[in-house]
Amino acid sequence: MSSANRVGVIGAGMTRFVRRAKEAPGELAAKAVEMALKDAGLTINDIDAVIHGTAPDAFDGVHMKGEHLIAGSGGVNKPYMRHFVGGGTGVFSPIHGWMHVASGKFKTCLVVCEEKMSPCVPHPAGAFLTIFDHTTEQPLKLTLLHIFAIEMCRFMHKYGYTEEELARISVISKKNALGHPAAQVAKETSVEEVMASPVLSWPVKRLDISPTSDGAVAIVLANEEVTRKHCKAPAYIDGVGFRLDTAYWCTRDLAYPEYVARAAGDAYKMAGISNPEKEIDFWEPYDPFDYKALHHMNGLLQDPTGKRVKELLLSGAFEKDGSHPICPSGGALGVGNPIAATGLMKIAELYFQLTGQAGARQLKGDLQRGIAQAWGDLMQVGTVVIMNADKGTVSKSTLWKEMTKENLPGGTPIKDVKEVPYVDYKPEINYSWDNGMALTTYLEGFKAGKIRGSKCPSCGRMMIPARAFCEVCNLKEVTDYYDLPDTGTVKTFTLSNVDWDSSMLGDGKVNIFAVIEIDGTQENMGLVHRIKDVDPKDVKVGMRVKAVWKPEEERTGNVMDLDYFRPLKDGDATDVAPTRIKPVELNPVTAKSHPGRIPLDYRYTAGIAGIKFYEDLAQGKLTGTLSDDGKTIHIPPTQFDERKMCSMDVIANAKEIDPKSGKIVGYTIVTENRQGEELAKPQVIVQVGFDGVHGTIFGKLETDNPEGVKTGLNVALQPTKECGPNYVLFK
Amino acid sequence: MNVAILGVGFCGSFPKSDGLSYRELIRRAATQAYADAGIEAAELEGAVSCEEDFISGYSISDEYVPDQLGVQMKSVYTICGDFLHGLSSATMQLKTGRFKLLAVESYCKASNILNKDEVLNFAYDPVWNRFDVTPNYLAGIEMQQFLERSEYSADDVANVVTDAKAKGLSNSLAPYGSHLPKNEILDGRSVASPVTEAMIAKPADAAVVFVLGTQEANIKKARKPVFISGTGWSSGNSVLERRDHATSTGTVDAAKMAFLEAGVSDPKKDLDAIYVSDLYAHRALIHLEAMGIKGGLNEKINPDGGSISTGDLIEANGGARLYDAVLQLRGEAGSHQLPNVKRAAAQGWRGLPTDSCAVVVIDQERRS
Repeated sequence: MSSANRVGVIGAGMTRFVRRAKEAPGELAAKAVEMALKDAGLTINDIDAVIHGTAPDAFDGVHMKGEHLIAGSGGVNKPYMRHFVGGGTGVFSPIHGWMHVASGKFKTCLVVCEEKMSPCVPHPAGAFLTIFDHTTEQPLKLTLLHIFAIEMCRFMHKYGYTEEELARISVISKKNALGHPAAQVAKETSVEEVMASPVLSWPVKRLDISPTSDGAVAIVLANEEVTRKHCKAPAYIDGVGFRLDTAYWCTRDLAYPEYVARAAGDAYKMAGISNPEKEIDFWEPYDPFDYKALHHMNGLLQDPTGKRVKELLLSGAFEKDGSHPICPSGGALGVGNPIAATGLMKIAELYFQLTGQAGARQLKGDLQRGIAQAWGDLMQVGTVVIMNADKGTVSKSTLWKEMTKENLPGGTPIKDVKEVPYVDYKPEINYSWDNGMALTTYLEGFKAGKIRGSKCPSCGRMMIPARAFCEVCNLKEVTDYYDLPDTGTVKTFTLSNVDWDSSMLGDGKVNIFAVIEIDGTQENMGLVHRIKDVDPKDVKVGMRVKAVWKPEEERTGNVMDLDYFRPLKDGDATDVAPTRIKPVELNPVTAKSHPGRIPLDYRYTAGIAGIKFYEDLAQGKLTGTLSDDGKTIHIPPTQFDERKMCSMDVIANAKEIDPKSGKIVGYTIVTENRQGEELAKPQVIVQVGFDGVHGTIFGKLETDNPEGVKTGLNVALQPTKECGPNYVLFK
Repeated sequence: MNVAILGVGFCGSFPKSDGLSYRELIRRAATQAYADAGIEAAELEGAVSCEEDFISGYSISDEYVPDQLGVQMKSVYTICGDFLHGLSSATMQLKTGRFKLLAVESYCKASNILNKDEVLNFAYDPVWNRFDVTPNYLAGIEMQQFLERSEYSADDVANVVTDAKAKGLSNSLAPYGSHLPKNEILDGRSVASPVTEAMIAKPADAAVVFVLGTQEANIKKARKPVFISGTGWSSGNSVLERRDHATSTGTVDAAKMAFLEAGVSDPKKDLDAIYVSDLYAHRALIHLEAMGIKGGLNEKINPDGGSISTGDLIEANGGARLYDAVLQLRGEAGSHQLPNVKRAAAQGWRGLPTDSCAVVVIDQERRS
């Protein structure tokens, strides 16, 4: 690595991770940013570029949420971008930051990750329904728990792990997290306790899983010149790698994460590492589920046999005092899992450990090198960062070494959003996704009681779902379609007690979801579907199954026309050969689309500033927030100054403003509702300023004369006990 | 280090594209771009896609990027930004020296979304700015403030539409080109006064793919490479209450960065073709002012008819503009070809409620 583009980590900040934070998303991010800047000894003016990692929008409940988070991230009037690779985002974030600095374009880059999962109701897990293919998988009502359980089952089957062995990881992470100030679910626990926790979707039990969380983390990256100037003990990013596999997740063996292995390979090559096991001192694999840490360690050790990782686990090498400590931070299982922020928390842990700032979590020995990894999407992305200690530098005493939970800023836990002013919102977002050529033929097959594939003339793969081109053969056009046998073999499965929205099915009901390798294709070419007509305890990997179709008159050209698979019986035909067919010719009648919608509702806390505003408004008052220098009053009230990225206090620094002294600075008469439909009566929306105050308030204007509205018109803010912009009314 | 645009592909624009899945739409643009660059998908080291979840209808939409670009198991990530943001990111990635050949992609299947205003409304802050009225309300406030504080009039804004639609008639990729008189624009149905329906670009479907590279061998292999000489991007305040809605500081800062890097000192003189976002007609004027280009429209601004003629392609808008800029530099823009184009700049804006903008300058010849 040439020093010309070497990139250092020179500061970190984070909030507490909590199940439900009182703060609004931007308020969480701002707390982490302020702390990271302080740790780096910089101000926001020293920052050349800002990037944000967060995914998906369905958690926070804001479309383009990266834009929503600009102010909280310190991105105002800065080069700002949001990037994501699903759950791999947190570790990809410093990689994107590394690009900013290593390219020579910027000297410093502030990297921020925020995730606020709690607004999504009834449970954030419901958001995961929409990560699946909208046409071929979402109708099955799958969620992330199902796909994890399916992968865990395959992992156990291939490498011979017991559930007890996997539970050891949960025990290690939760124990390590006891020393982490941000930790949400740190505890001393035992394999027995994990095993005794409720089974959600076999083999996954409640304590195998990380919690849903709200939280934010920020780090500061700098080129070597700035790094040496501002940091006595930096850690350098010396290796990066990221790889994204196909979205056709039933088209591979889920047991081994090749994408992690390749991402790690890229990072090792860049860092000059030839023997990772010997050259890396500690590991932060992504551990949203306990088995995932081992799954990822196989990838990081690039060992498809999985033997070495199992030896290390069983020998106790992964413990904090072991030879190969993993997740010294406490990981997602112990610290919590605000997805993207978790990955960046792991990067911060490398920085803490390598610079001797990890406090109670500090690992023994002379640490030279650590590795962090994240994973995500449909079991398909691996992101890897390797960091090095700067040998010869002296560790400085920082706020991190003695940090306590109480001293961490932000992440104020609340049990129920209803404890504070809140806004309910139900998005009515509907789609009709065009099926296109290949899916039309595939879905018409379901209507005809057939599973259809297409065959690549180049690699010879028989592909399901049928595809119009081959993704592994330079996008080669595929024109040969086949009806396939409707029999197959269970590759992996889960016995699920939960529905897509995380609610329990109850009454002993179990849904069985399986990846089924379809006959007439090749190894690792399957689809996900339900299995019925079998006692759950009799389902096994390798079980032969046959499709059960709905009656012809009930079929609509949907994957649910195939009602379920059942065990193959004596007498079922198994020697059916694929039959070549003519694909559907597209015309206005046959070119169909698949309907869908975002099935989520949201309940947002008003945030610290919003709580102040709406509580004041209930009393007919308006307050702004006075800046620390006493020169500027901000409205709406705010917990931070987005130009300086320093905290403000909406209570201590509240400054009353006469609500009747508003003057219109902007206005419009709108004729449509939020759906684009004509309003019965035009509505005036106004932007209102107040003398001597920085900022404005948006609201509705009650007037009998919309055409008479003009700039400078005096208006009065009306009291209301309701919360939300639709109740902010001027007269 | 020179970063070259080795190949470009564009499939669209269509008001609707039923019969093509989003995968098939993107694959067509990718196949075109790879052929143009003289490469196979397998040669690519990775890709950058530019999209947002609720536009595609997926959560974590980056999952669905690699297959139709032929880059599965490669280094792929997603930027939530305009195509020009993604291209700027890919340019940095190449300039680290660790990568040599990448694709940049964005697509829009707006026709898959049944209620686009509802999606846009969902982008507003739920506590402060998300009303139960059209999310275009902010465009109304922007235009009202811009007209009050600038020398432009509503007539000038209507002229943007008339000009764009007329230019679109010469662009075979622009489905909304037409002759639309100024009075019909001003007297048209008001959506959020003073914004009328004709002042808002209509949605369309398209995919755009570029191949970027740094290696001499690839540059020699490409049919007609052009060169990226400056990139810049910036975001105005996301707190709408404290943003100046009559200007675009995002564009001011993005242009400053890109022009400095590219050595553009007088954009009006130095640039032979200029593209700006005109998703709302008044925004075209705001963006031109912010880029330091006074005096409104002329023939070298948005020669393709802009989004008003090509359609609102959401995150692919900047890509559509830059695609035309590449054609102009190559002399392949057909009946809307400008004379003697050696240098062009494209500005992209992410649309309401943002002021997040990017500017890219490209040259026919490498600069160093």
